[in-house]
Amino acid sequence: MSEPSIFFSEVNERQGVFHRRTFLFGGLAGAGMLALGGRLSYLQLLETSRYEKLAVSNQFNYRLVTPPRGVIVDRNGAVLATNRPNFRLMVAREDDTKPYETVKSLAQFVPLDEARQARLSRDLAHAPKRSPLSVMEDLTWEQFSAINVRAPELPGVTADMGEVRVYPHGGAFAHVIGYVAKVNRDDLTPTGPNAEPILLHPGFRIGRQGVEKAFDLDLRGRPGAQKVEVDAKGREVRQAPGGDIPATAGKEIQLTLDLDIQTRAMEVFGEESGAAVMMDCRNGDVLCMFSAPSFDANRFVRGLTGSEYRALSQYERKPLFNKALTATYPPGSTFKTMVALAALNAGIDPETTHVCNGAWAWGGRVWHCDRHHGVMNMHNAIVTSCDIFFYQTALAVGPDKIAEAARQFGLGQIFDLGIPGQKPGLVPDIAYKRRTFKKDPVWHPGETPSMGIGQGYTNVNALQLCVMVSRLANGSKALHPRLIRSIGGVQQPSGAAAQDLPFARAHIDFVRAAMASVTETGTAAATAQLGLGPIKMAGKTGTAQSHTYREGERTSRNLAWELKDHAWFVAFAPYDDPRYAISVLVEHGGFGAAAAAPRAREIMRVALLKDPELRSRIEHPTPLPEIPAETVAEGAAPEDPTPIAPDVLRPPVT
Amino acid sequence: MTVSALTRPGERDRPIVKFSEIDWLFCFVLVLIAGAGALMMFSIAGSNWQPWAANHLIKFAIFFFLMVALAMVDLRVWFGLAYPIYGLGMILLLAVAVVGDVRLGARRWLDLGPLGSFQPSEVMKVGLVLALGRFYHGISADRARLSWWLLIPAAIIGAPVLLVAHQPDLGTAILLALTGLSVVVLAGLSWRIIAAGVAAVAIAAPPVVMFVLHDYQRERIFTFLTPEKDPSGSGYHILQSKIALGSGGLLGKGYGLGSQSQLNFLPEKQTDFIFATLAEEFGFVGCISVLFLYAAVIFMALRTASLAHSHFGRLSAAGVTATFAFYVLINGAMVMGLAPVVGVPMPLLSYGGTVMLTVMVGFGLVQAVRVHRYSEVTSGKGALL
Repeated sequence: MSEPSIFFSEVNERQGVFHRRTFLFGGLAGAGMLALGGRLSYLQLLETSRYEKLAVSNQFNYRLVTPPRGVIVDRNGAVLATNRPNFRLMVAREDDTKPYETVKSLAQFVPLDEARQARLSRDLAHAPKRSPLSVMEDLTWEQFSAINVRAPELPGVTADMGEVRVYPHGGAFAHVIGYVAKVNRDDLTPTGPNAEPILLHPGFRIGRQGVEKAFDLDLRGRPGAQKVEVDAKGREVRQAPGGDIPATAGKEIQLTLDLDIQTRAMEVFGEESGAAVMMDCRNGDVLCMFSAPSFDANRFVRGLTGSEYRALSQYERKPLFNKALTATYPPGSTFKTMVALAALNAGIDPETTHVCNGAWAWGGRVWHCDRHHGVMNMHNAIVTSCDIFFYQTALAVGPDKIAEAARQFGLGQIFDLGIPGQKPGLVPDIAYKRRTFKKDPVWHPGETPSMGIGQGYTNVNALQLCVMVSRLANGSKALHPRLIRSIGGVQQPSGAAAQDLPFARAHIDFVRAAMASVTETGTAAATAQLGLGPIKMAGKTGTAQSHTYREGERTSRNLAWELKDHAWFVAFAPYDDPRYAISVLVEHGGFGAAAAAPRAREIMRVALLKDPELRSRIEHPTPLPEIPAETVAEGAAPEDPTPIAPDVLRPPVT
Repeated sequence: MTVSALTRPGERDRPIVKFSEIDWLFCFVLVLIAGAGALMMFSIAGSNWQPWAANHLIKFAIFFFLMVALAMVDLRVWFGLAYPIYGLGMILLLAVAVVGDVRLGARRWLDLGPLGSFQPSEVMKVGLVLALGRFYHGISADRARLSWWLLIPAAIIGAPVLLVAHQPDLGTAILLALTGLSVVVLAGLSWRIIAAGVAAVAIAAPPVVMFVLHDYQRERIFTFLTPEKDPSGSGYHILQSKIALGSGGLLGKGYGLGSQSQLNFLPEKQTDFIFATLAEEFGFVGCISVLFLYAAVIFMALRTASLAHSHFGRLSAAGVTATFAFYVLINGAMVMGLAPVVGVPMPLLSYGGTVMLTVMVGFGLVQAVRVHRYSEVTSGKGALL
């Protein structure tokens, strides 16, 4: 302490330095504060609008709302497919979701068995965040309200009201309308309408079959959006007022089908397998298109269980298969109308006669008929369905001309129905054999007689036969079938806007007259009587072999179901003023007259009775034009009132 | 009493006189800032005192009394405790490096059992300022300007900074370094050394950033320049904070109506980013008002420092003020997207007891300097400790 370590001057100097530097420091701090203020004014005064937009896009989300799917109605406006409200329960994974606990607590509200709980917890654990999984559909009101009350305690759980597709007429329209189902991974495409985000919505359904599939885009509508306020985790905080975009319902599709006729078709088939197609032969509208047996499309909407699906897919009568379009069969004797028309067109005199002795030897084989018809002209051969006559007529005309006539009447053709699934079948000709059979590209003369009775390679579907008989009934126009009457109020082109049939009216009238006699005195005389007074039906039976008979076998009556013949009946009514044409197939039904004709008759009756003009004709009959007496085949009427289809093709007898 | 009465020996040691000498306007500004913080906490909790607002106010009240009590502590006691506090801080920092709790990947916390846990780096914020003040109090202006004696303050600063950076706690390390360097500069460091230091940092910064820093630290540094590049990842904090600020506009969205903070888009909304919450709900006007309060605190504290007669008092008050100013500037720059996210809260406004305690103890020291501005401080004769 002898000498102070710091002198007074130094103290003053230290103080001076400190003051200057503090002044500087204060200036720097002030500059820093000013810089912050400048930055604030840039962000808050100049860039406000930009950041306001960003804040709003943070705060609000649009939640997609599924549009109501378009309604499908019949030609009179009866609803065939619509939507009904559905309380559904969904769960989504949140950041703090414990899948197992969540599912356990849900099980207190709705019945979930152990297996379902386990599957649900696993799905939930692997689901993307906030993408809802469907837990249960069709909750009761009690379940729905109980869950909604407890929802705040159950993270990620929502119970809301959606819509579910419903088909009020069950199986009657299942094949035509199809059904909707949940979207699966294969439906999604990177572009196009199937890339839209609405497909990922758990309430969205996509058309799977028939009209639902073919017109899916029309039926979908435009999704709406609900403006919701969300937090940083994407959870909905509340619904935002205003700003909702309403969903646009899908377009209404009106079919040409008639509910009553279609329902009657379903009734008359019962357990049998087959198809019925009815058209309005003035404009081509398809009034009935039914495939039996059918299935309940509502079950597909809900989702089939494995055993349900197996039951449907393994049943031998194939309920999932649209037999009206997809299945082709030999037309059998119904094809004789085409052979006759081709013969007339080729200039063959209808009064040319052939003698039927029940069998005819030609080309080293014996060709059979089901009975001894005696001397046959063309009219009587159609009425009694004599095979011997048509073997020889076919040979005289040749396969190409027969095929040409058949194609003109729609056989072997695909029509623009709007729904998928048509199989063209086959109308063979010489060129076809040359094209298809590389080893034996020659049409053998022995193949022509088979074609003359609608066997051999010839294969058609029920729609084609209905088109054939419609065109015969119409007489002048090559009508097209129309299934979709309007889409969203826009009328679809009528089937009557078609070319003229390149056949002489007299020839068509000849065939029609013969068909009229079929139901009066011919093969279907006992089974195709309408019982509607002056309204009569004209038709043609057909019995098509489903397999080659063994030697000596003449009928399939006693065989197992899957070996029996297919039964056909085609008809139009009223025959003096044709309005409705029908084709009925009963798969493995046996004789066309016995299995198919009565069903055609019943379906036809509904159509006729629904037609107000025809109804007044039935209730107040006016004198009828007499059926010309000569159209009744003398001596050709069967003694046995039970009609027997004669279409039997025997294997070659060597 | 008259001014002349204060010149009477012993008069200034009377508690009532000391009490009245505290800068009560300064205290009022502190209350305003803490109150603004509680106001925002009430808002973002959905108009609820829990969990933050009430807690914040209670802590502030306790620390406020602590500050007033510390203001009465004789500056000679502060002087005497300067090295012991610094030594205690170093011991705690060493302890935490050995036995500290690892939280969020960093070893910062020391578990005190029933008393909870705290970060020793906070003790060091005051301890460093006191130690440097005491050291410079004893050397001449020449030595403080440029001499080998300056290696001692370099060591006083360097040791805790390295320990804290090693935890790693980059934000606090930078804050400690800046505080220490501020005291060194205020004590009269040669301009040549300052210029050389700035140049050295400018040259050394790129390699340090590239090779020494942890990945997450480097990521933070680069992200703040272009937060839009990774809006949901590393750029999220800055982007959401800028959205909150910008969307506030001139007058804000209204109290309780800030969508960014109310809906949790803003991260750390009650702590590091509370200024953005304030900006969103009260807009430019609210922000500038709060910044003005902070500027007022800084200038009032600097004025207190320059009024002190003792060099120790001047330097320690200015050092504490520097710490506070760096808190405000770094947090403000971070929230506004001008600096990387380094985890520095806005003092008094942000929720969190540790930083508030540090700041209020520091202001206790500042007020002690004011109350005892005429006292002479010496380590020799007349020392209280």
